[in-house]
Amino acid sequence: MNPVVSLVAFLAVSLTTAVIGFHGLRISRTTGDFYVASRTVPPWWNASAIGGEYLSAASFLGVAGLILLSGTDALWFPVGYTAGYLMLLLFVAAPLRRSGAYTIPDFTQARLDSALVRRVTSLVVVAVGWLYIVPQLHGAALTIRITTGLPSWVGSTAVVVVVCLTVVAGGMRSITFVQAFQYWLKLTALAVPVVFVLLVLAGNGTAPQAPLTLNPTSQAPAGAYQHISLLVALLFGTLGLPHVLVRFYTNPDGQSARRTTLIVLGLLSVFYLFPTLSGALGRMFAPELAQSGQADALVLLLPGRLIGGTAGDVLSALVVAGAFAAFLSTTSGLVVSLSGVISQDVFGGSVRGFRLAAVLAAVVPLGFAFMTDTLALAGSVGLVFAFTASTICPVLLLGIWWRGLTDAGAIAGMLTGALLCGGAMVAGTLMGGGNAPAWLAQPAAWSVPAAFAVTVAVSIMTNGRVPSSVDRVMSRLHVPERPVATER
Amino acid sequence: MTRVRVTAPRQSAPLAPGRLPSHREIPEDSDSGRLFVRSLIRSQLRLALVVACGFLVILSVFALILVYGPGVAEIRIVGIPLNWLALGVGVYPVIGLSAWLYNRAAARNEARYRDLVEDK
Repeated sequence: MNPVVSLVAFLAVSLTTAVIGFHGLRISRTTGDFYVASRTVPPWWNASAIGGEYLSAASFLGVAGLILLSGTDALWFPVGYTAGYLMLLLFVAAPLRRSGAYTIPDFTQARLDSALVRRVTSLVVVAVGWLYIVPQLHGAALTIRITTGLPSWVGSTAVVVVVCLTVVAGGMRSITFVQAFQYWLKLTALAVPVVFVLLVLAGNGTAPQAPLTLNPTSQAPAGAYQHISLLVALLFGTLGLPHVLVRFYTNPDGQSARRTTLIVLGLLSVFYLFPTLSGALGRMFAPELAQSGQADALVLLLPGRLIGGTAGDVLSALVVAGAFAAFLSTTSGLVVSLSGVISQDVFGGSVRGFRLAAVLAAVVPLGFAFMTDTLALAGSVGLVFAFTASTICPVLLLGIWWRGLTDAGAIAGMLTGALLCGGAMVAGTLMGGGNAPAWLAQPAAWSVPAAFAVTVAVSIMTNGRVPSSVDRVMSRLHVPERPVATER
Repeated sequence: MTRVRVTAPRQSAPLAPGRLPSHREIPEDSDSGRLFVRSLIRSQLRLALVVACGFLVILSVFALILVYGPGVAEIRIVGIPLNWLALGVGVYPVIGLSAWLYNRAAARNEARYRDLVEDK
């Protein structure tokens, strides 16, 4: 692959991101602009932005790589990523928008009337965000190494620098424009090369090297437990992701939050057709990538392998651009939501504090990324979903739908989930990725019910602590807004 | 345009002023208002649970048929194995349809609540 072409693609994406970001600077002036785009973003823009933010390295590179390795077992990943949004629509979207809170800690504090709950939630949110940024940086490192031959650290450092610059410059307002642009870039960058490859293969009448149904490595098929645990993690993890939640505050009201989510589901469904197609093509025409341990780079290498020449270079450049759009958008979304949380709790909520917090939010995971190895991207992101599902999800779901939740119950539940799921992640890593038994490698199936059970049990035991504001807050969450027409 | 410095002491004011819900005074002031809100929440929760369970049942039946259905593993449509088509393409319309149905029903619940409150 031509390294110069890849570098140009990367620079072009970074520059476009920065330009849109700085353009946003001119229109974002208040704290409200910085945090949540003043809540005036129309549903289509917002949905594209949510899609852009959500489709991370795991979706862009990881899903196709995993499909190459394990076939139909891996098809459950995109299904889970998309169905997670269905759960978010059903249980969280409209009430959360109506809550009027800016961040998840804001929400738990308002709902439970406790500053301690806020502290614990903030800690968990920061942990989730940092855990989730690390695989993005690994993806960037992998992309730069494979496509340009430069050392890995260049990729992850470049992503952190660009993200810090754009977030510090414009906050969420400009990020919304950037994200919306990046969804469409990602879709184009995956779809166009795959369609080209299909056309060329069909035109040449190339015969597949291997059947679609055969795993290229001797990887054992996943059992029922793994499937169930993965689905639990993805279905319940999505609705607790901090960067996804903060997006809903940019809708003008609860109804439009639901409309936005419906559009997001459509955008995700269309997007995931293409990694699936790439993975399937990889199994049939480039199975050797799986044997050489380069499965995650499948999407990047496919056009060069199967088309080659100038056309192959141009298509590869497009894919590299899309990949960087993925790393940049997810990382900046996470950095925005983390710095919202950090700046309010540590720096008193000023714009200057937000900027300081943004740098802090991006630099710490960079350190983690240097210290750890690249795992399979889709797998490591799956673990982050498991952690979110075991910590933030129970508090959020019970807080929205159950009057009986207390501050003690929420804290006990979050700590239980964090200890169980975090412990399993650490133990699994220490035992070495492949050797851990299934119940440790995929903890969600038991850690999520345990966190729910502890939250409910402790809340019932401490039912004297149900805040007196519960009726007021619950009606705020669920009562529809006045229609716009009668308000004016 | 002049630049205005705005700070957010959010610890003391956790709920930012958004568009106020309609008839906010009712749920706090009267027993009937509280009752209306409770029944709204219950009906929205029931709806969400029904849609979620329905979707999960469809998904599990899907998965069980693909794994255990006799001869299903051999079925191909235009050369593509059925399980690839079902999981790679077929699930998504089911998700979209569930979401669309839910949105309509949730908006209906809210309209019913509004009618109740305005009738009073």
